[in-house]
Amino acid sequence: MTATSQSLVDSLKEYVIKSYTMKPNRVVIEVEASKVREVFVKLAEVLGKESFYLSTIEGTDFPEKKLIRIDYFINLFKLDTNLVLRAYLPRENPIIPSVIDLVPGALAGELETHDLLGIIFEGNTYLRRSFFVPEDISSKGIYPLRKDSGV
Amino acid sequence: MFELVEATHLIEIPLTVEIPVGPQHPALHEPLLLKLHADGERVIKVDVITGYNHRGIEKFAEKNTFYRDIFIVGRVCGICNAVHANCYVRALEYILDVDPPPRAKYLRVLAMELERIHSHMLILAVNAELAGYETLFMYLMKDREYVMKAKEILTGQRVLADYMMVGGVRRDVDEVKKSRILDIVQRVEGRVRYYHSVFREDATINKRLRDTGRIKQVDALANSLVGPVVRGSGVKTDARAHDKYDAYNEIPFNVITEDYGDSYARAMVRFGELYESINMVKYILTHLPQGNPVPDERKLPRRFPEGESYATVEAPRGELTYYVSSSGSDKPYRVKIRTPSLNNIVNSTFAYVDQMIADVPIILGSFDPCISCMERAVITDLRRGVKYQIPLKVLGGVKK
Repeated sequence: MTATSQSLVDSLKEYVIKSYTMKPNRVVIEVEASKVREVFVKLAEVLGKESFYLSTIEGTDFPEKKLIRIDYFINLFKLDTNLVLRAYLPRENPIIPSVIDLVPGALAGELETHDLLGIIFEGNTYLRRSFFVPEDISSKGIYPLRKDSGV
Repeated sequence: MFELVEATHLIEIPLTVEIPVGPQHPALHEPLLLKLHADGERVIKVDVITGYNHRGIEKFAEKNTFYRDIFIVGRVCGICNAVHANCYVRALEYILDVDPPPRAKYLRVLAMELERIHSHMLILAVNAELAGYETLFMYLMKDREYVMKAKEILTGQRVLADYMMVGGVRRDVDEVKKSRILDIVQRVEGRVRYYHSVFREDATINKRLRDTGRIKQVDALANSLVGPVVRGSGVKTDARAHDKYDAYNEIPFNVITEDYGDSYARAMVRFGELYESINMVKYILTHLPQGNPVPDERKLPRRFPEGESYATVEAPRGELTYYVSSSGSDKPYRVKIRTPSLNNIVNSTFAYVDQMIADVPIILGSFDPCISCMERAVITDLRRGVKYQIPLKVLGGVKK
């Protein structure tokens, strides 16, 4: 981990459960799902609002562990670094607070992840099914990117 | 008889008109529906409705092997297939700890920069057409065809290159091919200079593009816009400069930015990048390292170790990202593709507000939309503080 990345992790240490790097050199920070909003606020405080943007939101299903993992990929372009915020949600009831009021750019990612994986972003009033998924599949309550969806 | 009562509320009934633009051919010949809510000639709200082209490629990739997926992701988008394949292949190389030879890295950049040249020429041509200047469209498209030819000489295919492979590229170039590509690029450079002067001086283009769809720097960043759109608003961000993947750490280039943030600024960013790409192509062809860029496919590992990687690439439309996760089998556990158009089109509805209806295609065109690339979405305007007007049918109690 480079010195810049290390100082970044240090500035967020009150939220960090675990930190490591993803190939090639992305800093991954595992946080509590309920603390994701606070991390975004803290990032804006530490780095300034105009030095990063939310690149994408990604969700992965782990049926054996009964978990859904959610990753926020943040491009810290002023530091030439990518930060990944990682949180785990229970598969039966995957609810996480929405960050859409703090980061409007989360809109596309939250809608997509909701429609394909069934994560509920609390506070996002734009959430709906059939965002991408055709109606014949979404009307049956199927989330295609879940491993047991049968799609 | 009537009793006189003092009024407590003044209800102004707004006359809003809903105008669907699309889903057939809103700006490019691709399916996207922009639902405009207009007050007179002014747009007050825009809903973007896509999803006409969602193909489930991420799920499809999970069901195929790592190597087959190289061909699948190349078909996410026709115009920028080399960058899609490059980004995915590099994500695999990060997991495998493979480093391609220098010649292969240079050739990859060559293919991607040729792609950027023809993609930018295409969207500048479409911008001209949307502004009502169809002759310029024809001329630009004619000269773009030479660049497609150069790409064919390099990769063997005019459009779908399938040029990238793990550990290198699929074919080498010889001296004859190099000189032919160089010849084409030099010819195109002169034409690009001419078109640049047309864009700067022509009255129609200037009137239509200037001051339309202006995006401030803070809005562009908050809404995660990428590529020439955010660089047109004065933000210096470019995945080539940040990640320095492949040979971008050795090939000199500048990140082009413009400050004003309107459709004209975005067009000027694309012209600046055209010159940069042309110079890079010339540099590569004169500084190509020696060696064999084509790996032996039979020696590549069938199974992948457990691991995950996140690769980014600067596609012609902006930052494109691939997340690939391997659970130790021959198929990826998860592939996540985030295309630049997803952010640029879904998150940009605020840019249409308070613009004229006739300018909507121009603004959409200036974002360089690629619908099959984006493959998704239904969105509503996010901008706070916009005077929202209740449609008459809501006032009349009609349920939506």
